[in-house]
Parts: sequence; C-alpha cells; structure tokens
Amino acid sequence: MLALLLLACSSDPAPVAEGAGGARTLTLAAYTTPREAYGKAILPAFAAAWKTKTGETVTFEESYQGSGAQARAVKEGFEADVVALSLDPDVAVLEEAGLITHDWRSGAHGGMVSRSLAVIAVRSGNPRGIADWSDLSREGVAVLTPNVRTSGGAMWNVLAIWGAGLRGFSGVTAGDEAGATGLLRGVLSRVTVMDKGARESIVNFEKGVGDAAITYENEVLVARKGGVAMDYVVPPSTILIENPVVVVDRYAEKHGNQDLAKAFVEFLHSAEAQKAFAEYGLRPVDETLTPPGLPTPTEAFTVRDLGGWAAIKAKVFDKGGVYDQAGPAAP
Amino acid sequence: MSGMLLRIGVFAWVGLLVALPVMTLVGAGLRGGPAALWAAVTEPAALDAIGLSLGTAAVATLVNSVVGTAIAWVLVRWDVPGRRLIAALVDLPLAIPTLVAGVLIVALFGPQTALGSALIAAGMPVAFSKAGIVLALLFVTLPFCVRAVEPVLEELDPAEEEAAYTLGASPLVTLVRVLLPPILPAVAAGAVQTFARSVAEFGSLAAVSGNIPHQTLVAPVYILGEVEAGNPGGAAAVSLVLLALALFLQPLAGALARRAGSAHG
Repeated sequence: MLALLLLACSSDPAPVAEGAGGARTLTLAAYTTPREAYGKAILPAFAAAWKTKTGETVTFEESYQGSGAQARAVKEGFEADVVALSLDPDVAVLEEAGLITHDWRSGAHGGMVSRSLAVIAVRSGNPRGIADWSDLSREGVAVLTPNVRTSGGAMWNVLAIWGAGLRGFSGVTAGDEAGATGLLRGVLSRVTVMDKGARESIVNFEKGVGDAAITYENEVLVARKGGVAMDYVVPPSTILIENPVVVVDRYAEKHGNQDLAKAFVEFLHSAEAQKAFAEYGLRPVDETLTPPGLPTPTEAFTVRDLGGWAAIKAKVFDKGGVYDQAGPAAP
Repeated sequence: MSGMLLRIGVFAWVGLLVALPVMTLVGAGLRGGPAALWAAVTEPAALDAIGLSLGTAAVATLVNSVVGTAIAWVLVRWDVPGRRLIAALVDLPLAIPTLVAGVLIVALFGPQTALGSALIAAGMPVAFSKAGIVLALLFVTLPFCVRAVEPVLEELDPAEEEAAYTLGASPLVTLVRVLLPPILPAVAAGAVQTFARSVAEFGSLAAVSGNIPHQTLVAPVYILGEVEAGNPGGAAAVSLVLLALALFLQPLAGALARRAGSAHG
C-alpha cells in the first residue's frame, strides 16, 4: 500500500521507446538533497550510456524523501532497485531487514558516491564574526539546526561539533569527552528553532531567522546558486559527510535488474556523474574532481575516526547518551 | 431488509474506517507491555510535550470560548452590512490547510517583518515561541465555539434581554443572569471541541513552533519525531494518551451539545 502511494508520488516514467534491446525500468529511492543532480544530469547520462552499450532503453521510477523515511519505505515494501541515502545507518536498516545482502562497504569509495562538510551558514559578511563551533555558544547568538529525531542528517551536525571537541579543536583538550559534550551543550543551548529537516532549516535561515545555521556545505551552495546571498564558515575541524548508494539485492533480483542496478551504481563513480554531483554543491568522492576554490578545513574527520557508526550511534544518540546529556534540558 | 443491510453497511464502514486503525494503535501502544508504555509516556521529553499541548490548548480554549461567544452574539443580533463577511471569515480556518496557517504566522511575525523584529527586540517573539503556538491554535479553532453557540442564540428571544434592560438590569447582570445560562452548555460544548482539536493540531504547529524538546515541542510533533527516529513504541504511547483524551472529550462534547439543544430545542 505504502509502495503504491510512493509510486504515485514519483515522477511518471517517460514513454517507452522501442529499441533493439527493449526497455527496462530502474527504481531509485533517494533522499532529497541530490534530486536535481540525479534528475537533471545523472539519470539522463546513464540512460544514454546504457543505450549505447546494450541498446536497451532505461526509464527511471524516482522517489525522493527524507533519508530515514525512505529507508523505512523500502523496508516496508517499496521495491526500489537502488537506494541513495544520506548516511550509512539508513542503509544498515535495509541490511538488517535482509534486503541488502552484499558487502557494499567494500565497493569503490567504500560504497559512498558523494561527500559534503558540516558547516556554519552565516549572514552575508559574517557580522557575528563566527569562525568556529565554540563561537555558536556565545550569548545572544541564535542558531538553527534540525531536530535529530526527525532529521537523520542532523546527526551529522551533532557529530561534527562533538567530534571536533573530542579531537582537540574548538577549545577542548583532545580526548576530553566531558569537554566535548560541554561544547555541544553550549551550542545546543543557543538553538532557537529545530526544524524537521535540513532543507526546512536552511529555508528558515534564508527567511531571516537566526544568526547562524548548522548545515551542509551543499545546502549553502545550492541556496547560493538560487540567488540567495549567504556566506558560510568551515570550522577548523568538521565532519566529512559521506552519502552511500547501494543496490537493494532482494528487489533487484526480483525485478531481474541486478546487472542494470550494478552498472548504475558503478556509473555514479564515473567522472561524468562525479562532476554532476559537484555541480549541484556536493563534493565528489573522486578528490581529483573537487571544484577549485572550495574552502578546506584544518582537518575533516569521518565517522570511522570516531569509532564507526554502530558504536557512535549507541554512544551519542541512544537514550541517556551524549546527545541527551547535551541536548535541551527540562526547564 | 434493506434497512438491515444499511445498518450492517454502516457498522462495517465505521468499523473499517475508524475502529480498525484505532485498535491497531492500541495494539502498537501495548505491544511492549504496560511497563514499556508507562516508561515511554513518562519520558521527560514526552511529558513536557504532552504538558505543552494541554497548556497551550487550555489557553486557546479559554480565549476562543469568550471571543467565540461574543462573535456568535454579534452575528446573531447585529444585522448590519459586514455581518456576512465576518461569518464567512470565521469559517475560513476550516477551509485552508492548517500548515498554511502556520507558514502565514511565521511570515507575519518572523524577523524579516517590521512587526516581527520589533516584537523580537522587545523580548516577545511570536514565531517559534509558545505565543506562536497559541496564536496558531486560536486561528485553527476559531469556528468551533462560534458555530456551537450561534444556533442556540438564534433560538433565544431577544425580548428576554430587552425585558431585563427595561427592568433596570445592567448589561453585566443581563449577561450573567439572562443571556449566559441558556447558552452555557453550548459554550461548553464548543470549548470541549476547541480543546480536543487544539491538542491534536499538527500542521500549523509543525511550522510555527520551534520544536525544541522541553520548550516548544508539542505532542503531535513529538510523535512524528519518534516515528521518524524508528521508535514506533514511543510514538504509539503518546498517541494513546491523546486518544484516551479524545475518547473522554468527544462524548462530553456530545452530551453538552445535547443539553444545549434540549434546553432550547
């Protein structure tokens, strides 16, 4: 039922052209951020490449919604051949459900196709002089960040701040967990709006709410591309966001689409696709293709540097974990 | 025979449409056992969310009961041009998606407007604050009290009020002793409806509240958070609290409305 609803929401398949090799349909369940990169550049390019190679015409069923919601939809029966999600744990949900059976993390670039950085969006000219995470805890600074319960992506923001502290940045001694939690508490105490998702958060910031918004570099770059005047600050230490794209084995097999789905994921690592991601504000996993002029932090750490998703999710986001200790307290 | 079929059809329809999802919700809430249910409901963030929903709903109910009754009186007794416009405007909140109401309040009182920035500078922000939540609820529930009181007022003979005046009663005494007693059950029925609707309101509050746990996170948005975070048990538990409240309030509203109807039927 849910799958039907989702299919109804996804864009209509283009009319099928009768080629020598027939027609195939690939279903892609993605999170919202790379929508333009897929819809406008990557999917047409892949269809053209596949047609040249095999003579088959590929049409796409595309569905875009929040990463966590998308993972749940696929788990509950939305039969996507390929998932493009915001973070590793959402793919893990599908592994636990037995839908993904191959060792996707051992693929090219660890199964990741695009990257971004957790950054601080500020008003034009940075009037508050914000340069680091610790500046967000200053008195009178109004900060926006999405709610971690509704926005899986908001986890990146929390981990960026806490991880930077733990690694000896933003005024915290390296390895001082209590200090890192204190840094996070200071920032969260200045949060005035916790939107449901990253996009709502940056839209509210565009409307003039808040002095700073913790967000992803690509959100700022896309907003700027749309003509919004906005600056951003890359703190000295921040987290490297990595977005996975994985074949859903069970459904791809059921649809007889394994070869097509696998070729599609491989195509995402090609220079053509990587450049398309970069054009829509994401950083390519192929670092040689990183657009020139993007700011570089002193260090960009990964979730692996913090101990991996399984450990970090339990430590930071489980009941009574770091986030509960640092988060908004009962008045 | 056809009457019997109709009755069976009605039972099946209401059962499938309403009772089945409600039973599913009860089942989901109780799946982990009463201890888990209790723990999920007494989670500090959940308790604060329920408390905020009840508190803001109470304020909105109080205001809209008084204002709604006054509007109903004006609509019934005041037959001048503009009356129909007010009548139409009162019903408007029912016709527009409540999310739009929330977005409009943010647009009106956000920092990008002169009004919004002045209020923020004065330390009384409306958007993303508790005041914004109450304002959204006032908007969304405006019609309930007006429409509950209006028909009862129409049944009342204005001569009673005029007689009270003629006999020397002040406007206040007239209000308290003549006008209010017969319409009180209707006001109460409208109030109960207003309160029930306020506690359940989601769309406008998702946009207008800051959604910060313990501060501006209302119960329906909290429920969404638990669903999204993969904690259906926590979501079902808080939903059950709202459901229990609705099951208590709906018959109460019905009984009060019937009393209002029979008092001047």
